[in-house]
Amino acid sequence: MKSFLSTFIATLVINSDLYAAEAGMPQLDPKYWASQAFWLIVVFAVLYISISKFYLPKIKNNLDNRENKIKEDVDYANKFKEQSESKIKEYEVIIEKAKKEVAKIILQSKNNLDKDIQSKKESLEKEIEKEISKAHSEISEMKKNSISSIQNLSENITSTIIQSISGDKLNESSIKATVEDVTRKNVSRYL
Amino acid sequence: MQQFTVHRIGPEIKIAGIDLSFTNASMFMVISASVILLFLFLGSKEKKIIPNKIQLIAEIFYSFVAKMISDTAGSKAKPYFPFIFSLFMFVLFCNMVGMLPYSFTVTSHIIVTLIMALFIFIAVTIIGFIKHGFKYLSIFVPSGVPAVLLPLITIIEIISYLSRPVSLSVRLFANMMAGHTMLKVFGGFVVSLGILGGWLPLSFSVALTGLEILVAFLQAYVFAILTCIYLNDALNLHH
Repeated sequence: MKSFLSTFIATLVINSDLYAAEAGMPQLDPKYWASQAFWLIVVFAVLYISISKFYLPKIKNNLDNRENKIKEDVDYANKFKEQSESKIKEYEVIIEKAKKEVAKIILQSKNNLDKDIQSKKESLEKEIEKEISKAHSEISEMKKNSISSIQNLSENITSTIIQSISGDKLNESSIKATVEDVTRKNVSRYL
Repeated sequence: MQQFTVHRIGPEIKIAGIDLSFTNASMFMVISASVILLFLFLGSKEKKIIPNKIQLIAEIFYSFVAKMISDTAGSKAKPYFPFIFSLFMFVLFCNMVGMLPYSFTVTSHIIVTLIMALFIFIAVTIIGFIKHGFKYLSIFVPSGVPAVLLPLITIIEIISYLSRPVSLSVRLFANMMAGHTMLKVFGGFVVSLGILGGWLPLSFSVALTGLEILVAFLQAYVFAILTCIYLNDALNLHH
């Protein structure tokens, strides 16, 4: 411990001796002032001339180039944007037109279809009516026919029944008259 | 303080009895300038729309200084852009090169910063007189000051104007010297306290190195922006 302390103190003393030897500011020694001023002026002049003549214009050029390029690109982009916007507008107009046309066509075809359906329906109805009236007339004819055939049948049946009951043959014309009479009275119930 | 001593390299050059020998200070000026030129050469070599890293850094420096000038001195200061750009780059790279171990910090010498500050001061004064003639003297007479105070204010303005080169040069020189001295002192503590106690000053040294790099950038920025402000006073006389 003692030896450590003594060496420590010794080093401090030696160091302070060193500091003492170096004391004073070399900056205030005028011996090389002229030299420093001279070389400063020379070096700085060379530096200034080469910077201002060569390097700054180059760097400025580079920066300007970049700025111009960016501006150009932005201009291009804006142009394209405008173009695309006008194209979009055109498309919108076209689509609008097409929509209108489509609506027109739809309306027209609907009308046509309606007319067509109407006319077809009418003709069909007419035909159906025709058929119905034909059928009606046929039916009424058949009914009329059936009445006369029924009369005949009933005359025959009546004469046969009378003959088998009484054994006599009755006058055909009187039977016919009676049947006709009955028929006339009752035929309205069936027709 | 050995790191600040200037010594001759090569033969002694004497012109008209004045010693203009090439020294280590001169060598580091040349090194800084060469590094700047190399950096700018690489940064402007390729003309790419999408820049590579070094081109990007060079362009960032360009736009940084351009913005600084247009913000503080307006559009009239455009012709002085190359000078301020060179000044900023030179001070910055001298400071940064000085941060390397065993190197020499050019800007830690009062004579160097004083020459630069004096040049700026004289140039700005000449520009002011060329642009405004004798009206430039109105910079010493601020408007809106009561008549009683006017003589006093004018004297103060003159003194502050004349002390510009001193403050500009001493600010840079003192900052650089103080930082390097502090690093040296802490480095000395590391050595003298040895392996047992040296860790604390060593960690301080590391932190201070980071701080010094910040200061190196900051002082270059301050130097350049004060130049812009002085230029602004000369170009746009609005007091």
